[in-house]
Amino acid sequence: MKKTIAVVLLTLMLVSSVFAGGAQETADTGDKTVTMFQLKVEIKDALDGYAAQYSAATPGVTVEVETLGGGADFGGALKAKAQSDDMPDIFQIEGLGGYNVWKDYIASMEGEPWLDDTDLEFIVDGTVYGFPVAIEGYGLAYNADILAKAGIDPATLTTRDAYEKAFKTLEAKKAQLGIDAPVSMAASLSGGMWWVAGQHNLAAYWGGGLDFTDTSVIEDALEGKMDEARFTEYAKYVQLLFKYADQNILLNGSYDDQVGSFAQGKTAFLHQGNWVDPNMAQMNVTFKMGYAPHAFTNTPQTGLYLFAPSWYVVNAQSPRVEEAKAFLASMATTPEGHDYLVNKAGMIPAFKSVTLKPSGQLSQALMAANAKGGNYGVFFGMLPDGAGQNVFGPVYDLFAQNQDDLDQFISDMKAAIASLPNM
Amino acid sequence: MKQRSVVNTLFLVPVVFTFVMIIIVPFSLGIYYSLTDWNGVSPIINFVGFKNFSKLSSAPDFIHSFMITIGYTVINVILVNVVSFILSLIVTSKVKFRNFYRAGFFVPYLIGGIVLGYIWQFILNNILVSLGTAYSIEFLRVSFLSKPESVIWAMSAVNTWQFAGYIMLIYVAAIQSIPKSLMEAASVDGAGFVRNVFHILIPMMANAFTISLFLTLTYSFKQFDMNLTLTNGGPATRFMELPVKASQLLAMNIFDTATANKMAEAQAKAVVLFVVLVVVALIQVSINKKKEVEM
Repeated sequence: MKKTIAVVLLTLMLVSSVFAGGAQETADTGDKTVTMFQLKVEIKDALDGYAAQYSAATPGVTVEVETLGGGADFGGALKAKAQSDDMPDIFQIEGLGGYNVWKDYIASMEGEPWLDDTDLEFIVDGTVYGFPVAIEGYGLAYNADILAKAGIDPATLTTRDAYEKAFKTLEAKKAQLGIDAPVSMAASLSGGMWWVAGQHNLAAYWGGGLDFTDTSVIEDALEGKMDEARFTEYAKYVQLLFKYADQNILLNGSYDDQVGSFAQGKTAFLHQGNWVDPNMAQMNVTFKMGYAPHAFTNTPQTGLYLFAPSWYVVNAQSPRVEEAKAFLASMATTPEGHDYLVNKAGMIPAFKSVTLKPSGQLSQALMAANAKGGNYGVFFGMLPDGAGQNVFGPVYDLFAQNQDDLDQFISDMKAAIASLPNM
Repeated sequence: MKQRSVVNTLFLVPVVFTFVMIIIVPFSLGIYYSLTDWNGVSPIINFVGFKNFSKLSSAPDFIHSFMITIGYTVINVILVNVVSFILSLIVTSKVKFRNFYRAGFFVPYLIGGIVLGYIWQFILNNILVSLGTAYSIEFLRVSFLSKPESVIWAMSAVNTWQFAGYIMLIYVAAIQSIPKSLMEAASVDGAGFVRNVFHILIPMMANAFTISLFLTLTYSFKQFDMNLTLTNGGPATRFMELPVKASQLLAMNIFDTATANKMAEAQAKAVVLFVVLVVVALIQVSINKKKEVEM
């Protein structure tokens, strides 16, 4: 009998240890471990390498990086970590929505050495909370070789009429140029491409043609108001992009379909940001490319859209706040950090003191635009969580199916914006 | 005997403990959270009563998801069971290579829903469309997955392809358990094949229908993985004057709500899904049970 009870107790202990598994008890070996949880899969190897390099060069501190991304549910995984008392010291947020969820875990970064060196730090109510991971940006990427053959000068593409003329020319010379359609645009829910239209393209309405920090249009939208005249101009531009797009890619293409079509020279324009540079390298693209602005009015617009897509934040409840901040600062302030950001990870650093140049053509185009100035801000991060995917995504998908019904698109968008305050 | 019962109880403890920890506790917590405004992280949890539930009755996307889930379930239950019943008749007949067919029909079930969704997405979006373009077949030119009116049917077809083999096995087992003498006696009395099937076979395997209908019903109602990879909720369609996702089934609607950091609202939707599923499944089982015959 005693034996049976012993066995049962043992089983109980084993079972309960399964549930206790979440809480980690790390023995303090004197070495302080800073854990980092990040979502950019494409820089995983580079970041792991830099963390190892930093750990080796900094006695007493070890940085461990865990990566989850590529469409995986980063937010969900982070919540699981918070629930199991295993919050990382450094994690990543993508805007105000993320900040509002995680604000109890986010430490202030006031007084960090890199603050004067960037314009893209994450600020809420005047306090700095986030370290900009990189600059990303976009315009309408063009294949310079195809445009040259068709006799179009990309420098003239600064108004909607200029685009319409260019698209018409390309459409007429399709067979001769060997292209399927002028534009590679994606807007489908089924392909998971709602963000191209519902976030990046719509950003032109929020910020196009305005000052880099002018958020008046989106602030009105957050109160449910739409600027109908401005939106009508913009809607005509969307219609143009949709009409001259490869219809299969537009209606059900995936990211690979969309980028692949441009990389293979089957479309002359691509609506994507500089993050496609690694894809271009993988597909051995040799043609010249650059960015034309998303000029949706007939008043010329020349700027590209630049933004920090995400920020690293430091866990305020961790005992390793100082070590974590020091690690981030090293990226921004040391030559090794700059080398990692530009050469290893292939990103455009958000810090002005970095002099290295990225190798991708589109990244170079963005860097040039950044140096030149006159660019537009990207503000979709201010929208409530899920607005892009669940509200704007279906609106664009439906417009892609019924491209002639401009009025319906405008009224759908008006209703969508009116619903924002209740989200 | 008294000692025995102590031992029995003790042996139950690990199982009961596990059941409580992974079913009862999360389930109760879930119901509790559905009455709050929790976002999944914040330590501040406010009790809001039934606000999350009352919101649902006026949310077009939720009502739409609810309706198409019912539609999808009806189509799916009929399609899967009819197809698998026909398959089971084929593989229990005297046809050559019947064991090979049995295995063949079952194989799709072994492919996970995620992988399967991607495979069929490729077939429907790329292969069929290229065939349509190459041979000028008009209705194939636009993918079935990008037309709001056909997407549910495409999903049901894919689900049938996957699930029919599994349900077929249940029917095969039921058919094989029916005594041969019954069928022979009927044949001697002059009953043809169709008569045999409808008057002997189907009544005799009523218990197999109970379990098969239950499985397909609950499975269709909770469908998620294939929905996510095959259609991702798309394309958009218009419902109650607003654009909504044409193939966003209930489980996916819950998922999309949760990933937008509306944990409590998603939880309320999940509670609704649970209640509806329990009610529907209970009704189905009790109706089916009445039709079963004892040997």
